[in-house]
Amino acid sequence: MFMKTLTLTAVALATVTAAPAFAGRDQLKIVGSSTVFPFATTVAERFGKNTDFKTPVVESTGSGGGLKLFCAGIGEAYPDITNASRRIKSSEVERCAANGITDIVEAKIGYDGIVFANSVASTQFDVTLADLFLALAKNVPTGVDGEVQPNPYTTWDQVNASLPAIKIEVMGPPPTSGTRDAFVELAMEGGCKTFPWIKAFKKADKKAYKSLCHTIREDGAYIEAGENDNLIVQKLAANPNAFGIFGYSFLEQNSDTVQGSTINGVAPEFEAIAEGDYPVSRSLYFYVKKDHVGLIPGITEFLAEFTSENAWGEDGYLADKGLIPMTDAERTEWAEKITGLSNLAM
Amino acid sequence: MATKSTTAQSTLNITAGNRSKLAETTVKFAMILCAVVAIAVTIGIVLSLIFEALEFFKKIPLTEFLFSIEWSPQTAIRSDQVAAEGKFGVIPLFTGTLLISAIAMCVATPLGLASAVFLAEYASKRTRDWVKPMLEILAGIPTVVYGFFAALTVAPFIRMTGGSMGLEVSSESALAAGLVMGIMIVPLISSLSDDVINAVPQAMRDASLGLGATHSETIKQVILPAALPGIAGSLLLAASRAIGETMIVVMAAGLAANLTANPLEAVTTITAQIVALLTGDQEFDSAKTLSAFALGLLLFIVTLALNYISLRIVKKYREQYD
Amino acid sequence: MTNTEVNFLKGQKHLTRRYRAEQRFQWMGRAAIAVSLTFLVFMVSSIFWQGKGALITTKIALTVDLSAEMIDPANIKGASFDKIIKLALRAEFPEATKRKQKKKLYALVSSDAGFQLRDQILENPALLGANQTIWVSASDDVDMLMKGHIDRDKPQSRRRLDDQQISWIDALSVKQVFNTGFFTNGDSREPELAGILSALVGSALSLLICFALSFPIGIMSAIYLEEFAKKGRWSDLIEININNLAAVPSIVFGLLGLSIFLNIFGLPRSSPLVGGMVLSLMTLPTIIIAARASLRAVPPSIREAALGMGASPVQATFHHVAPLALPGFLTGTIVGMAQALGETAPLLMIGMVAFIVDIPGSILEPATALPVQIFLWADSPERAFLEKTSAAIIALLVFLVLMNIIAIILRKKYEIRF
Repeated sequence: MFMKTLTLTAVALATVTAAPAFAGRDQLKIVGSSTVFPFATTVAERFGKNTDFKTPVVESTGSGGGLKLFCAGIGEAYPDITNASRRIKSSEVERCAANGITDIVEAKIGYDGIVFANSVASTQFDVTLADLFLALAKNVPTGVDGEVQPNPYTTWDQVNASLPAIKIEVMGPPPTSGTRDAFVELAMEGGCKTFPWIKAFKKADKKAYKSLCHTIREDGAYIEAGENDNLIVQKLAANPNAFGIFGYSFLEQNSDTVQGSTINGVAPEFEAIAEGDYPVSRSLYFYVKKDHVGLIPGITEFLAEFTSENAWGEDGYLADKGLIPMTDAERTEWAEKITGLSNLAM
Repeated sequence: MATKSTTAQSTLNITAGNRSKLAETTVKFAMILCAVVAIAVTIGIVLSLIFEALEFFKKIPLTEFLFSIEWSPQTAIRSDQVAAEGKFGVIPLFTGTLLISAIAMCVATPLGLASAVFLAEYASKRTRDWVKPMLEILAGIPTVVYGFFAALTVAPFIRMTGGSMGLEVSSESALAAGLVMGIMIVPLISSLSDDVINAVPQAMRDASLGLGATHSETIKQVILPAALPGIAGSLLLAASRAIGETMIVVMAAGLAANLTANPLEAVTTITAQIVALLTGDQEFDSAKTLSAFALGLLLFIVTLALNYISLRIVKKYREQYD
Repeated sequence: MTNTEVNFLKGQKHLTRRYRAEQRFQWMGRAAIAVSLTFLVFMVSSIFWQGKGALITTKIALTVDLSAEMIDPANIKGASFDKIIKLALRAEFPEATKRKQKKKLYALVSSDAGFQLRDQILENPALLGANQTIWVSASDDVDMLMKGHIDRDKPQSRRRLDDQQISWIDALSVKQVFNTGFFTNGDSREPELAGILSALVGSALSLLICFALSFPIGIMSAIYLEEFAKKGRWSDLIEININNLAAVPSIVFGLLGLSIFLNIFGLPRSSPLVGGMVLSLMTLPTIIIAARASLRAVPPSIREAALGMGASPVQATFHHVAPLALPGFLTGTIVGMAQALGETAPLLMIGMVAFIVDIPGSILEPATALPVQIFLWADSPERAFLEKTSAAIIALLVFLVLMNIIAIILRKKYEIRF
């Protein structure tokens, strides 16, 4: 009896593994950033419904992982498109080139606002970039030019007397995240630069300048909370004193529980981000392997769908999903580049 | 053990013909092949980690990785950034892993063992029939669910209780993650130990009870020692699962690497870092991504050493009864 | 009192103490089980509570113009169904004239409404030629409002639907029906359309592969190590190796799968075949450790008796020892497979953490898995995905329970105590 069971499973195993050879791929493969993922999937789904092509497979691997897969080679086994929440790096372009991928089409699709928010049960904050820098940096200026000290601030009113006396507790993404990188670059450095002596420092010693402006404190006031923005939103609802750093689309969907702080007097609203008034937003991209055009059916059609006004336009369906569109001029320029399959210029 | 029999094989096999001999050889060969899969997987894992880990050690010296007490991979994501140098000291990650796993085992060991003993020795057959599979469901709930539960129910509760007792508790704490993880691994201990206890021959119970021992004395002094190797195996498996868990840690304990033994503070574990590093947005040949491979390799070596030690200990105390 | 009496009383006291200890011991066991089960009940019921909403969906009735002007009966597919839906909405509420207002109006129905209309017409072409009232899916926001997840009393800026939209919805005829789509659709970015079928099929396929690989290999190697291997350096090495594999973070198995199954063997990415193979690497140690523990528990007398009766070692093992250890094998398999069923991290590396709409038809087609679906939905901004997430978790638990029942029936059949 026992032997029989084993033999049966062995037979099952044999049939299962003796699979037929797989035919050529007729489905687009997209990999990359988890931030671009919701937008790429929306387009993919529409594309699958509106055309006779199969719905593309979109993977969420992170920008780095996506580019690694993308640059691994040309052929059916490798992805056709990779999404990125940052621009491709020159070292990555080199890696691609080493594997024979020299023709890459770059596509910028729009912006993602990064908000600084707290529970609606608490008061709405009106902060400046300098406040954010002073509250979150590892080292802050002492007041004397050229001198820094480990961040001594524990409550918001110590940072700026006009803010309430609430403990500084900010939940944000870990250092592996593109959201964190953009926040550091735009908000922290932006605040850092408001100190004239630091700004002057930039030319003298760029490395020390970046190290001062870009390093987030690690004494517990800034909590590295992982990449799940829904979790941050729910944690904020449970803890009215805490703040969170996350993408605009999560603020928009949860406006009944969380509120975005105004930064430098500008509230994180759709129009303000689109017009560039809101200081903390970043560009989102995807990259296309030109050698796959013609090899895998549907690439040009997919690009056409993505760059249609109906998708990435001001009233397009991507805007409904929380993507901040580019300006009209930018869109025309990029649509031309993308549909024309012009090569990436670093 | 059964291997006593290998010498007896030839003499006892007189009746068996050539055909069944061939079948037996085939079966044996197949079994050896299966056992070797484990070795092959190990080699595969080492090979898939080592090259990238070596790349990492080209950028960060091994001594810094092993002995520095700060983990803060704040290197730049984009090429135009110069930014702060990352610090890659693995010690806080190790202590975090140990802290959370220890809390989880403190929860799971008593719960799991007590459940196993009760199910195997006291519970009626019907109770056992439905309680055991119920407990096994705990092992199958996706860890995302535990993560949400830990982060949104347990952690605020701990913060509130701690706050009312005048303790400083951060919103992410090792305690919340460890407690919930402990519940998750209960069935690993309870189910496996239950099987093992159940398999201890009834004659041993009868003998002990016949000598006047109470049931609990029989369990503590006769049955548990007899079942010890199996129980140790189940504990080891549970500990392994605790060390390898990521989702609960990321959601409830955060990703900040603090060097602390205080269960009320946020800590992180090696596996949580590996996942965060491999799925991040940074470029794939940066020290940050590569450190994931080094971490994987290191964890592999450390658990290997721990397993070696525990094998030695179990061997020393192993006894076989009949 | 005589000495014996004292001793007897002492003995009595001692005995009561022992009995009390006995009681305490039993209660400890009960308490432990109670604690674990309370947790289980609490978690499962809270998931049920959150997930039950996903079984209901909201439909809106629209009067659409299906005259030949709008749809050419000879070329039904060529018609613009989205336009028909939009016109129907505008006919219902002519006051929406500005672009912004129109956009808000269109946002009440699902973006899939046009396709639903098309499918209904293709199914029943008799509808053509006149005005017809048809039911289409409402958008996720309307669905949330109908389920009471959007608070009408909150100020306009704090909710997803403004006052005008709510007044429109109140004027429309709306019904709540059982959400069959949740069980028959693949993934979607629109919460009202998203279903679990593709993930369910993906999970089933990969677990099948995982079981077909890990059960025989796991048990064969356990039997070999426990019953045949000479105890020595090699068997120790293998044993340590196996125990160690249990502690390897699951994502590392994903890395291994990526480099060996995908890059060396060239198997298709995102396929349940590779997923199952990677998961089986992960479950193997669990199965082997459990199987060995239960083999160890089989009394040596069984082997000796079989050997004494003239059975060969292979016969003694497979005919006598292994059947007795089978309950333990099954426990190990249940626990191992349960873990495999709930795992996301290793699937990430081999491309199964993906958006997949089509239902996989074979083990080579791209697929995702239930825990991945849960993970992706839990990470989606749309509020309506919250209940979907919980419902998907329920589906996963049901799947798990079904899987366990089979193993439990088998386990009970073979359980013997000596």
